[in-house]
Amino acid sequence: MVFQLTINGISNGAIYALVAVGFALVFNILRFSNFAYGSMSSACAFIGFFFQRAFDPPPPFIVTLLFASFSGMVIALLIDFLGYRRIRINNSPKIYYFLMSLNFSIFIEQILTIFYGTNIYSYPSIFKIQSLQVGSLYIKTMNLLILGVSVLLLVALILLINKTKIGLAIRAVAIDAETSRLMGINSNMIIITIFTIAGILSGVAGVFLGVQYGVYPGVGPSVMLKGFLASIIGGLGSLRGAIFAALALGIFEIFLTFFIGATETTVVLFGIMLAFLFIRPQGIAGKLVENKV
Amino acid sequence: MKKLLLVLLMLIVVLPLAACDSGVSDVPEETEEVVVEETEEVVGEETEEVVVEETEELEPILIGNIQDLTGPASAAGRPQTWGVEYAVQVVNENGGINGRMIEVISMDCKNDVTEGINNYRSLVDEYNVVAIIGPGLSNPASGWIEVSEEDQVPIVGHFMDEICTTDPDTGEVYPYMFLVEPSCSQQSELLAKYAVEELGLTKFATLYNTGNAFAVAHAKPLMAYVEAHGGEVVAEETFTWSDSDYSAQALKIVAAKPEAVFLSDYATQSALAYDFLRDAGYEGVILGANTMSSTWSTLVKNEIHDCYFLQNYDIDNPEAGVYDMTRLWMEDLGADFPAGNVGFGWDAVQVLVAAMRKAEDPTDGVELRDLLEQTDGVQLAGDTITIDPNTHRPTSMGMFIVTYDENNLMQFLTFMKP
Repeated sequence: MVFQLTINGISNGAIYALVAVGFALVFNILRFSNFAYGSMSSACAFIGFFFQRAFDPPPPFIVTLLFASFSGMVIALLIDFLGYRRIRINNSPKIYYFLMSLNFSIFIEQILTIFYGTNIYSYPSIFKIQSLQVGSLYIKTMNLLILGVSVLLLVALILLINKTKIGLAIRAVAIDAETSRLMGINSNMIIITIFTIAGILSGVAGVFLGVQYGVYPGVGPSVMLKGFLASIIGGLGSLRGAIFAALALGIFEIFLTFFIGATETTVVLFGIMLAFLFIRPQGIAGKLVENKV
Repeated sequence: MKKLLLVLLMLIVVLPLAACDSGVSDVPEETEEVVVEETEEVVGEETEEVVVEETEELEPILIGNIQDLTGPASAAGRPQTWGVEYAVQVVNENGGINGRMIEVISMDCKNDVTEGINNYRSLVDEYNVVAIIGPGLSNPASGWIEVSEEDQVPIVGHFMDEICTTDPDTGEVYPYMFLVEPSCSQQSELLAKYAVEELGLTKFATLYNTGNAFAVAHAKPLMAYVEAHGGEVVAEETFTWSDSDYSAQALKIVAAKPEAVFLSDYATQSALAYDFLRDAGYEGVILGANTMSSTWSTLVKNEIHDCYFLQNYDIDNPEAGVYDMTRLWMEDLGADFPAGNVGFGWDAVQVLVAAMRKAEDPTDGVELRDLLEQTDGVQLAGDTITIDPNTHRPTSMGMFIVTYDENNLMQFLTFMKP
């Protein structure tokens, strides 16, 4: 049973990791938590769903995933262009980023509700075999796909950040944007790159959420809270911390649900977040950051 | 520049709000002119005819219809609204209520209590409806208990939770709430009876949403029936509206080794629950409420097998009263599967109309209430109904036990009466 719960928890954690890393990336550079991320995922879930339905027969799932990722990137860049860029140019207080992200979150979710209501749409089954039995373990085939794609994306991201010039530039801007600019790094391009990556992650997360739990306007925000929780516990701004915390959260959550029930689990999880903020606000791997929003 | 931006921002905020649709059907005003001829004859040497023509405007009778037109229960609410509007059309084509036509105003409660109350207030205060057809689900209806009594507006619907018709503590009946199908406990007991007596099952588990009154009101009576008849409830697992992953609960149920698991939620949640159970390796019987009809089978990803659930109508039987109207609905909306909720809408209107036909004043809420309490042997799409005046619920209505065949088509097994 322990193995079964752990496997299920890791799969849930993989989706939380996609969300948490999206938060961490934006926070690293702009020092605020992008609460529009959840609604962006919902929008991508819908886009992926209708993209699949637009063709007969439906395209391969990987094509849907790529299309949704591209759409996520476009949405993220649009949000930056229409909202956050003006705040940067005006050098406005950080609180405006927070307000803008909340506004976008509600705006996108309500647009989806107006067009599609709160009905839940169901992705068609991706695999003929829904779960594989390995001894006494049952592994959902969809969970394997989610885990595989998430690991690939996150490894690629960590390699990008740590092994490439653009990754070096991102780290430099994350440490000190002003000095980086003086050293010739185009911080605007870095920000566009960050939102591109976050948008791609939200597209992938949205499709996975839609396949797992159904497509409805609130599907992204419902998981966003857990991704945010993971980014707090992992340390705001730390990618590795966010990934680790997200996986741990997925496992811990499923064990808690198994032993104490679903309702009580939510209370415990947010209690843990409060405890972290009280005792170790920098999280497991983060550093204390000034001007956090 | 800043002022211009501020004005633009205000326009962006205000315009979408103005464009929002409140889900209210347009209600054209109709008046009907009736020409009355009077003749007077004097028998005898002379006959004299006096012809008097009178023109009388007969106001239509306005009734409200509140259903879940969007949201997780819209798969039930939309066909139900169609059934209501179709039934009203048929009544009007046959002369209405003593010559008065019925007009129905439909609203969307989105399975939300607050939204339901807003709909109610709008129907009663703005449109002055004389009665309301309520939704098939109990959450919104539970908000109308007191206001319907204050306003003396009878509400007829399929809100199966007993708390919508009687006080759960005192048993006192809510005077203006009427249920026109078997209640949650009656339905659960029918299903439990089938599982225990026909399938010979003894170990049961449940997985349901504690935030859904419909689900809770089904799960508890089933467990009580099982335990009262020698069975055992080996696991009772729950989730909430904010949960989307039930894998932990499913694993716990599998570990308890039940012979049957009862899923009592709306179609979407019970489809998710079904998939999580099968993914966790559960191969036993799945029992379901009447939300497991054809649409449910399109939401499930796993193969459907060993699944038994309740249905109000034998929807695939051409001789059944509900057959023709469900096919008409399918044709009208391009639906792939028939929906029993069409029959719900039809049935609610039949019960209301039966009372209205007997009333001296069909717009008098008090008189309507008294006549609804006396509903006896009214023919509905599936069965006849007699309402118990002490509970405002049917005295004995049966339901079908249904399963899915290998092609995911519903197969009607038997008709169970309490």
